Amino acid sequence: MATEEEGPAAQTGRAVLSLATDVGGAAVLAARLARRMVPPRLDGPELWRNLYRMGVRSLPIVGVTALFTGGIMVIQAGVLIRRFGAEGLLGWGAGFTTLREVGPILIALMFSGRVGANNTAELATMTVTEQIDALETLAIDPLSYLILPRVLSMVVMLFVLTVYGDVLALLGAAFMGDALLGVSTATFWNGLLDAIRVWDLATGLIKSALFGGVIALSSSHYGLSVSGGAPGVGRAVNASVVASATGIFVCDYLATYILQ
Amino acid sequence: MIEVTNVWKRFAAPVLRDVTLRVPQGCLYGLIGPGAAGKSVLLKCLAGLLRPERGSVRIFGQAIESLDEVSLQAVRNRVGMLFQNNALFDHLTVAENIAFPLRRRGITDEAEIAARVADRLRAVSLPGFEQRLPGGLSGGQKKRVGVARATVTRADVVLYDEPAAGLDPVTSQKIFDLLRREQQEAGATVVMVSSDIDRLLTVTDRVGMMLDGALIFDGTTAEAQGSLHPVVKQFVHGEVDGPL
Repeated sequence: MATEEEGPAAQTGRAVLSLATDVGGAAVLAARLARRMVPPRLDGPELWRNLYRMGVRSLPIVGVTALFTGGIMVIQAGVLIRRFGAEGLLGWGAGFTTLREVGPILIALMFSGRVGANNTAELATMTVTEQIDALETLAIDPLSYLILPRVLSMVVMLFVLTVYGDVLALLGAAFMGDALLGVSTATFWNGLLDAIRVWDLATGLIKSALFGGVIALSSSHYGLSVSGGAPGVGRAVNASVVASATGIFVCDYLATYILQ
Repeated sequence: MIEVTNVWKRFAAPVLRDVTLRVPQGCLYGLIGPGAAGKSVLLKCLAGLLRPERGSVRIFGQAIESLDEVSLQAVRNRVGMLFQNNALFDHLTVAENIAFPLRRRGITDEAEIAARVADRLRAVSLPGFEQRLPGGLSGGQKKRVGVARATVTRADVVLYDEPAAGLDPVTSQKIFDLLRREQQEAGATVVMVSSDIDRLLTVTDRVGMMLDGALIFDGTTAEAQGSLHPVVKQFVHGEVDGPL
């Protein structure tokens, strides 16, 4: 904690150390989880339970977000589409931005807020109430039993939810294009299918898997490294959401650069 | 059975200072001391949850600080523990919480599991609570479920951190009597941390007192009650005037 006597250099140093601690902690967690993947040592029932509650229960919020995102893109593009008479490009524009960028990012941010924050809160509460210690004394490896199923579930379900969200966003865009701009759905889908490559879809899905990993690792790391009782749980959730969002954008930049 | 030799542990400051302690097999050992004396930390070292920076903790003849994960899990299969916060799993019912250690030890006979869960719930006076979730229990009820879970496997070594905290006097005495009875029936070695000195001393064979991370007294219950060490005397008898 910063003290009144600390100058800017000390505060900067403290912030850098804190960042290194968190990034290093998440990296160590990733390495420990990777060791448990060969051969796979994870709890099957816990995996299914997490796949359901992280994925199936996120369908409504992801669906609403995706539908409106598709609609908003059409509203924003409407002025230019009309001015240049480029109705045939609406499907390509909506598809390109949705599949490569907007879909994966917005769905990941929603997923981080709903699932990542919840994961941190649960793990942090389990940590401060000694439930993690209790697992260890029961000769149960918390990483195999608790963390690995959650990490895998987040990566898999964010991937699946991105596919689902992409479809709904494009449906929303097609509907709004017809309703607002008079672009027929046939024109929309023809424009989309003619111009969009499989690689555009793959790029977005690769990103979604990366974002899932970022959210899973940061939310689990902050949940397990919490200290300070109930107030510490709140701080951990806050830090986890901020770190996940930052990580998503950093990863997106790197992935876009590498995968373009 | 439990041997602690010259153990040091520090977080921001030292919390265990050169602690040496031996708990014979079948002994119920009470660990007392004021807050932040290092009692719970020592208990976590015994459970292998914390590793000492220096010194050795031996259980069943094995130095647990040097064991790998697999060997440590084998030791933990023979150790039960009740945590200060009970550490019940929130997403499991009372019955599932108590059955959890049994299932994890490979017991799959549902009839046997149900019978042992029912037996434990009767022992802690909570029959009929099988399907309740921990969130719907009072503090005392959670504590009793924690005791039921810690004793369900009849472990060779059981560690209790404040087993009667937050309980009314009658229930506290019942819990202490239950733990003593369980320990005698199973022949288990027990280390129990409690602030309820009067009741604790009714069930212990030996007592250790910690102060500022150091073990300042180790002896029989009678020796603790008759100790002339000013700190031990003041603490055991709850005197206001004294060095503490």
